[in-house]
Amino acid sequence: MTTLTIGFILIALLIALVLLGMQIAYALFSVAFVGIWIIRDNLGLAFRMLELTAYSGIADYLFATIPLFVLMGLLVSVSNVGRDTFEVAEEVLRRMICGLGVATVAANTIFAAVTGVSIASAAVFTRVAVPEMTRHGYRPSFSAGTVAGSSVLGMLIPPSLLLIIYGVLAEVSIGGMFIAGILPGLMLAGGFVAMLVAITMLFPGFVLTDPEAVRERRLDTEIERMPLGTMAAKLIPIVALVILVLGGLYSGFFTPTEAGGIGAFGALIVALSRRSLDRHKLWQVMKQTGVISVSILLLLIAASFYSRMLSIAGLPNAIAGLVTDSGFGPLGFLFFYAVIILLMGMILDSTSILLIMVPIAAPIAQGMGIDLSHFGIVTVIAVEIGLLTPPFGISVFTVHNTLNDPNVSVEQIFAATLPFILVMLVVLVIVALIPATATVFLY
Amino acid sequence: QETITVNIGSSHPEANIWVYAMKNTFQPEVNRILSENGNEYQVDWVEAYAGTLYKFTDTREAVMDGIVDVGMVGTVWEGANMPLQNVTYFTPFATEDHKMIIEIFDDLSENLPELRDSWAENGMVHLSSLITDSYDIYGTFPVATMADLQNRKLNAPGTSANWLQNTGATPVDGALTTYYTNIQTGVTEGTLSFASGILPTRVYEVAPELTRVGIGSMYFGGIAANKDFFDGLPEPVQAAMKEAAAATSVAHGDYVADLAARALDEMQAAGLTIHELPAEEKTKWVEGLPNIIEPWLEQTGDAGKVVLKAYFDALRERGATPLRNWDEGL
Amino acid sequence: MSEETAAQSDDAFVPRFSEAPFGAVLGSVAAVMSSVGTAWIGVLMALIVADVIGRNFLDAPITGVSEIAARSVVAIVFLQVAAAILQKRLTRADFLIRRLEGSSPKAVSLIETFFCLVGAAVFSLVLWASFPKFLDAWTTSEFFGVQGVFTIPTWPFRGITVLGSAVAALAALYRALEEIRTVRRLA
Ligand code: NA
Ligand code: NA
Repeated sequence: MTTLTIGFILIALLIALVLLGMQIAYALFSVAFVGIWIIRDNLGLAFRMLELTAYSGIADYLFATIPLFVLMGLLVSVSNVGRDTFEVAEEVLRRMICGLGVATVAANTIFAAVTGVSIASAAVFTRVAVPEMTRHGYRPSFSAGTVAGSSVLGMLIPPSLLLIIYGVLAEVSIGGMFIAGILPGLMLAGGFVAMLVAITMLFPGFVLTDPEAVRERRLDTEIERMPLGTMAAKLIPIVALVILVLGGLYSGFFTPTEAGGIGAFGALIVALSRRSLDRHKLWQVMKQTGVISVSILLLLIAASFYSRMLSIAGLPNAIAGLVTDSGFGPLGFLFFYAVIILLMGMILDSTSILLIMVPIAAPIAQGMGIDLSHFGIVTVIAVEIGLLTPPFGISVFTVHNTLNDPNVSVEQIFAATLPFILVMLVVLVIVALIPATATVFLY
Repeated sequence: QETITVNIGSSHPEANIWVYAMKNTFQPEVNRILSENGNEYQVDWVEAYAGTLYKFTDTREAVMDGIVDVGMVGTVWEGANMPLQNVTYFTPFATEDHKMIIEIFDDLSENLPELRDSWAENGMVHLSSLITDSYDIYGTFPVATMADLQNRKLNAPGTSANWLQNTGATPVDGALTTYYTNIQTGVTEGTLSFASGILPTRVYEVAPELTRVGIGSMYFGGIAANKDFFDGLPEPVQAAMKEAAAATSVAHGDYVADLAARALDEMQAAGLTIHELPAEEKTKWVEGLPNIIEPWLEQTGDAGKVVLKAYFDALRERGATPLRNWDEGL
Repeated sequence: MSEETAAQSDDAFVPRFSEAPFGAVLGSVAAVMSSVGTAWIGVLMALIVADVIGRNFLDAPITGVSEIAARSVVAIVFLQVAAAILQKRLTRADFLIRRLEGSSPKAVSLIETFFCLVGAAVFSLVLWASFPKFLDAWTTSEFFGVQGVFTIPTWPFRGITVLGSAVAALAALYRALEEIRTVRRLA
């Protein structure tokens, strides 16, 4: 049996364990450990790789930003900045079909400009949007799916952890990547809105528990309008945060990696100034930050161990060989590459996929004359789809975890994110075909 | 005929200056030598380049622990476990001739007991030296006098932060991959770096003023084999690896020279202006530096003194004139 | 508010000493470690803010922030992982398990026992692999950073990995025992 065959068997074993419900970190660790042991026929090596990965697999400033982005998300959530943004969006979009869904997308788009990890958006808007949507006659699972789906905007609109990691791996300017992500991010948001409206008109049963009530509420002219002053007041904190994070970033006060720390600090100030935080509550927020972060970070360690096992099995080299031998043109290569990432996205986390694929693929892409910033955006959109695809879709897990509602199952949320995945696929194809969508503001 | 499997790898991609010769000289040379010597042995290379197995912080452990059998080891990141190898970083302005550094460290790593033993203590056999070309300042501003450095923020990670002491410039952490964004957004106003490393980062686009300071070429680390693995190889294979390693050193030196020259041409074509720091200003810089070798000598003790002395003797023997005699008073 | 309930359930994983002495001690240790990890996140934020302010307004950046942050993130994980195990907060896809729960709770508990044992094994492996490196770091005074600029010993960080994986292994084992008890009760 070749090591490559063993590699594929181990992937199958991993999928089986994950589907059976094993803690994903346990599954990744144990399969990878056994894999290294078998492939190299060396138990000691498996131990040493495990130690190395546990101690330094995520020992990187980049990963230190994850708890900080999560902390910022939760602080923004307790100080009701997320809710206020959502409420203003809700007010403005009241007359729109699927108004609350569209409001979720809109609020997520604005929120994306301050957060760098999608799971932060997912956690915040699960708290803010899902109860509101459910209260107004939207299906809980659809509401949860909308939050999970629109949370991917957080990684495409700057600042973004994934764009930072891609920039580091492909050796392209991170600031440039941030600019390249803006238009595709907005295209994605627009696509989501169009999809939500269409789907509500075509299949109201999929979206709403009581379509008639929702229609009445939408057309109700009696409801008191929110005064413009109130709207402005509600938007001040989020606008201030966007200015702090993006402004500070582009005027050189801090680096993309530092944005998480500064953003969290800014959110803390906002929370304190709104008097929504006493010492007890702050501690609770910090503890929750810890709980959410540790489950993600442990996954990242495990995934990094697993990807090293795949590398020992020779999988990355085999893929690179396959691409080189196939004689694809740039488009064929992009297509093939995106498909592989989509498949990996089902079983691996975003960072691991980037770690495995970018070092192999970026030189090939460059050799084919593909612009590396454009290539990065294609990569990140494809990787982001993986946040929503089963069996391992971390945005969906985050929403499910945060919601903690026994009536909304993980698979219901997965089903509800399907339309979002379709929109992302469409945007992926458009961006892949038209490089200018990424590079237009760059050069 | 016997086939020997050799796992070879690195934390950096194949195009990287420190990895290039592993893939393009060491491997083919070993193959060639073995086949010319009767084809008794053959190597099956299992490659894990580009950090798919471990990160740059773990290059020593990866070879020491046998995760790869042969690997690029960046001793520059191993200040705690292999401090002796970092002597060049604590003795700036020694020489700009990177080929000389390769020659010196190929010799010392083999023949100076302190250095050889340090590799052995870390479970490795040194095969071939890796270096950087000379460090200069790539900035948004030219440096005509030392006053121009006052209150400037420059990327100078790790040990290179030492070189800015008493210059008035503030060292800011970073890596080749962060310089571009740091400078573009104004987090820093330039960086200490070397031509062969800086070209692919396109830093010249945002820092179009290169001031040649000649801080010197640095010993970066070595290509090394796991000691147990190497000791267990048949003698002819060991000999082939040693011979290939010598060729690798030459190829590495040539590659860096070519790349540095090409880099300067390409960067100038792209708008880079080159300035020279006047000799008297350079003297001010060199003499203004505090005794930065001191903490290193304290850490490394007698072995450090031997290595420092041997290094500076070797420099002078080869006709180099270090601008500061860091070995004074030993 | 959902936050409050979530916060309460966060503390609820430590059983009473009189009911489960082992669980109570283990839970308390895990809770203390988790609190240290939590506070560390705040320190990390403060460090970054101080570095940015120092660099921009005082020409005095804090050296080594990136290395310290890099090591901190690992420490934070290993300080908090045991508590996360006891709280059953590790990410997983549990749709199959939950479907089984109604029809065959005993099978579910058996599967859960198996998962917990795998978890205990995984963290035991990490412990086993990391301990020698911790001793090494201790005896050789290994550090990170640069001589003359800043140096920080690595043994506390390696120690946290060792301690964290030890307590995590025990936590997973404790969870396995609980599941076995459930199996017995259902039998
Ligand atoms: Na973002
Ligand atoms: Na997925």
